[in-house]
Amino acid sequence: MHQFSEWLSGTPLSNQIRSLEWIIPAVQVVHILSIGIVISSALLVDLRVLGVLRDDAPIAGYVRRYLPWLGVALLALLASGATLIIGEPNRTLGNSVFWTKMVLVGLGTVLTAVFALPVLGNASYWDSGGRRLLARMLSTLSLLIWVAAVVCGRWIAYVI
Amino acid sequence: MAFAKAIAEGSVLFPWIETIHVLAVVAVVGTISIVDLRLIGLNAHVKSVRRLMIQLLPITWTAFAIALPSGFLLFSSKAVTYAANWPFRIKMLLLLVAGLNMMLFHLIVHRGGHRWDEGKTPLMAKVAGLTSLALWIGIVACGRWIGFTIN
Repeated sequence: MHQFSEWLSGTPLSNQIRSLEWIIPAVQVVHILSIGIVISSALLVDLRVLGVLRDDAPIAGYVRRYLPWLGVALLALLASGATLIIGEPNRTLGNSVFWTKMVLVGLGTVLTAVFALPVLGNASYWDSGGRRLLARMLSTLSLLIWVAAVVCGRWIAYVI
Repeated sequence: MAFAKAIAEGSVLFPWIETIHVLAVVAVVGTISIVDLRLIGLNAHVKSVRRLMIQLLPITWTAFAIALPSGFLLFSSKAVTYAANWPFRIKMLLLLVAGLNMMLFHLIVHRGGHRWDEGKTPLMAKVAGLTSLALWIGIVACGRWIGFTIN
């Protein structure tokens, strides 16, 4: 991994990303704004599922509305994240907190898919009594995982 | 002040307060963006602008109630340094403008927002949404920039 990071640091693309001072901060801002969309979408769906947000609109409506935004945000995170990794390989690939974050992001994505996909095919999938509890557990867990990912993201800077 | 010193000199308090600040800010900007995008014309989970605001604003305010004190604590750890930092100054200015923009908008919606529920939102509302979005993106950018210019 260390050798790979070294190699990556030497590539033209990596150098280009670091060539101008404002590139990495600007890409980080895109990263942060996309996180805003992910956290807010996850929060809204979770609050709806938990019944905190009382609404006539069915859970399926929330999922269908926010899933595309979540998808776009995740793509933006992937692109901006990749740029940050290529720009500073040692800071990321050589950092255990970074890898923890990657595991959490993977987990969050899987849980979100497990929660959202059934609803796309069958709008009332989570509405039946037996599944209600599972719905609450899934949506709350995925929200907590996204929050943990954000915490790790910030801590990359503090743990070498 | 004792608490300011503790944050500045410890190695764990600042990062954790900063993390909480970031999470709160992310929730503020995210929920505001949903309303702004609705104003610009992108539908949210609820079509009515007023109902959307009634639903989301408590979340926005709760998050802001965490962002503000956590931000103050961060500021207090190195107040003189931050006060002299240009990105920080601009960020505070933008926050003020964003707050005023929001107040103005509340007044407008309160007076006639229900008329927008089904039809197209008026141009003024679209401008308000776009302005708000631009301001908050600027606030996040300044926030990030502080980190790169503070020593």
